[in-house]
Amino acid sequence: MSLRLKLLLLGLLTLVLPWAGCRYAREMESALREGEQTSLESVAETLATSLEGRVDLLYRAPPGAGADGSSRLEAGPYDLRPLALTAAPLVDGYSEGWPRDPSAWSWYEKDAGHRFGVLTGVYERVLYLLLEVRDAHPVFDAPGASPLDARSSGDRVWLGFQDPDGSEHQVFLAASGPGAVTARYVAAGEYGQQLAALEPRIRGVWQLAPGGYRLELRVPLSMLGTGFGVLVDDRDARGAAPVSYGSLQPDDLRTIGHLIVAAPELTSYLAQFSQPGMKLAVTTPGGQVLARVDELKRIAELGPAPPLIARLYRRFVDQPGTAPPIEAQVPIYDREHAAAIGALEVTQTADRWLRLRDRALTRMLNLTLATSVVVVIAMFAFAAWLALRLSRLRQASESALTRTGLIASFPDTEARDELGAVARSFSSLLGRLNEYTGYLRTLAGKLAHEIRTPLTIVRSSLENLEAEEVPASARAYLERARQGSERLNAILLAMGAATRVEEAIGAAERSRFDLVPLVESAVAAYRGAFPERRFAAELPAQSLALEGAADLIVQMLDKLIENAVDFSPPGATITVRLRLEAESAVLEVDNPGPPLPSEAPGRLFESLWQSRGGGDNRPHFGLGLYIVRLIAEFHGGSASAGNLPEGGGARFSVRLAR
Amino acid sequence: MKRLIAIVEDEAAIRDNYAAAFAREGYAVRTFANRAQAMGAFAARLPDLAIIDISLEDEPEGGFELCRQLRALSPVLPIIFLTARDSELDAVSGLRLGADDFLTKDLSLAHLSARVNALFRRVDALRKPEQAGDVLRRGPLTLDTERMQAQWDGKVVLLSLTEFWIVHALARHPGHVRNRQQLMDAANVVLDDNTITSHVKRIRRKFQGVDPAFDAVQTVYGMGYRWVE
Repeated sequence: MSLRLKLLLLGLLTLVLPWAGCRYAREMESALREGEQTSLESVAETLATSLEGRVDLLYRAPPGAGADGSSRLEAGPYDLRPLALTAAPLVDGYSEGWPRDPSAWSWYEKDAGHRFGVLTGVYERVLYLLLEVRDAHPVFDAPGASPLDARSSGDRVWLGFQDPDGSEHQVFLAASGPGAVTARYVAAGEYGQQLAALEPRIRGVWQLAPGGYRLELRVPLSMLGTGFGVLVDDRDARGAAPVSYGSLQPDDLRTIGHLIVAAPELTSYLAQFSQPGMKLAVTTPGGQVLARVDELKRIAELGPAPPLIARLYRRFVDQPGTAPPIEAQVPIYDREHAAAIGALEVTQTADRWLRLRDRALTRMLNLTLATSVVVVIAMFAFAAWLALRLSRLRQASESALTRTGLIASFPDTEARDELGAVARSFSSLLGRLNEYTGYLRTLAGKLAHEIRTPLTIVRSSLENLEAEEVPASARAYLERARQGSERLNAILLAMGAATRVEEAIGAAERSRFDLVPLVESAVAAYRGAFPERRFAAELPAQSLALEGAADLIVQMLDKLIENAVDFSPPGATITVRLRLEAESAVLEVDNPGPPLPSEAPGRLFESLWQSRGGGDNRPHFGLGLYIVRLIAEFHGGSASAGNLPEGGGARFSVRLAR
Repeated sequence: MKRLIAIVEDEAAIRDNYAAAFAREGYAVRTFANRAQAMGAFAARLPDLAIIDISLEDEPEGGFELCRQLRALSPVLPIIFLTARDSELDAVSGLRLGADDFLTKDLSLAHLSARVNALFRRVDALRKPEQAGDVLRRGPLTLDTERMQAQWDGKVVLLSLTEFWIVHALARHPGHVRNRQQLMDAANVVLDDNTITSHVKRIRRKFQGVDPAFDAVQTVYGMGYRWVE
């Protein structure tokens, strides 16, 4: 794994920040929720306190009836608690448009065959009624007959109510067929006769239904006081004696039940406390909704919709599913604080605090993500910079080391950090290594020089001894000592050869010469010098001008040939080849024989490197190929060695810059 | 009277061995270990020939200084540098100071005495009136083998003894290639290739100092050198 990648991963660790931010946002959310809950409860308490004992504000009641208001709150069997409708039902005689809530129905029955249910609701100061009458034989009035004519009467529905002044009123509904009906009441005519007068404010629709009929009515609340009841006259045939039952006194049709309806001011009272995203509802102690102000859906007024990024963040933070709203429910007490006259429910959508949280969350996540991005980029850049410096250092050290001990230069660095220190210590290390290599390179020459003096003592002593009277028996030893010193001398010469070549190179003068005749002439000379080997020359037809020192080139060729002769069997053919390339001349010497040692072929050209045993007793110091390299490098070229294919021997190549 | 050879050499064993060898040859020998001793003695009496090592006791270049002082005392006194130092630079410096030859210590005593004899012969020849005896002429080249003096177009070219013998070996048979071994034999010296090459280079340079168009010593690559007329 590269350093760059590692530091990048390290930089990615800063993503812990946004993660921690999300965690924090969740904590904050629950804290906010708690706070909102508390404040909602206190809002509810305050509102409930403001409604404390205000039966008049809660319930629709005639003036002055407030004192016995509490008795109305106990829903008797004949009391009706209209639903607070959220929309006006279409008055058509069908139950569509009404809440499907069986518990909201009030049922009255005479016996098994006579039973009806009433569903009431209030919407915008209008009372709606839905009656379901179970009647095995629904009977309509005779068409065209007076509704007051007992002989032609069919089924009747009576409504009895007190007006706001407390006076009792009765209206009835009769129909000669399914369809719209208008209430009538029995009025005294001009002459005391009974008339069925129309009450146009109470209208409805009569429809037949399976097992009976259905009647849907609307009554303006302004007509009504507290008392209210419904009575059904069920006849099995026109003009038959009716079976009367319901929530009115059957004899005089006086009201016995009440209509428990919110005061008209209650809704507007609640509305002034309402806010978007909030729902206020006042209920009876039994849970019947008296009035409510619902602004839960008016979230848009809370402010502009959260930006896209906030919604994106919310995905990370929130558990799937919508957050539940918070609710508070407190009872509304009477003046004595003894009994509840109702209850207040306050609901607030989660959006309110979620928006608050989202704003903070968005800012925090933006900030932490930006921090992460900056840190990652900075770390990446830093890593790239480090990697660049390291790779420079590596390249420098590699090139410094591969130049076989000769370090041209190592880049100096001013950097004060550890890497700079490494580079500097590397530089000084290489410097010392270079000194040591230099010392090693000159060691042979120095040794040769140091040994020369004692050797001279030995040789001159031996030569003097030869001039003296020496017993014949000792002559042999003298001769051996002389031979030994000669060999030692030859060794010294060989050891100093590299030094002298370096000197010669230092003093060499460059001139332009043709390489082809030079190689040709040299090969001819080798044929004479090494009669046991055959020499083949492969030379280009055209001339090959080269800038350099011809003497040194010949010396280099000498070393190559000596090497080839040493490692080839007698009778072998040594091939000298000169090739032209675009920018260089390549001199190759092929010799059959053993392959090169498996160590790096480049080491063959190092000073004092000798791993191949020569075939004779001449001293080998591995200097021959080192000299080849020195001369090749002097000519801006390089030396290399390789094996010929199929174990055919070795090939030494020298590339010379043209 | 025996000729007097002075040997200035700080290595006692070598000094004594050389002294013994020359004494055997019939020369008078005086040996000195350092420059001060030698100059003290030379002020009183000049030797007939001086063999000097370059580094003398605590003076690494004492031999050069001694050579300069000796040459100041006598322009004709044969001086031979005999040293363990074989660098091109030392050889050039020594010869430039007017030494007649620059030899390394791996030279055998026999070769050394051949040189000493040759130098004495030259001294004798220089004393005698000029005669057209052993003179080799090859075009502009005139080699006086008695005085070991070379002339090119009538101008003297100052060659060391080794250089003279190399030129002589080449010019004796113009056109014939002399390989390195032959040249070493002729010069009574054992040298490696590079030293031969630098000798030849020096010879060329010296002749070119007299005649910039000099091109008579030719390299035959891989074989040796030849003299062309």
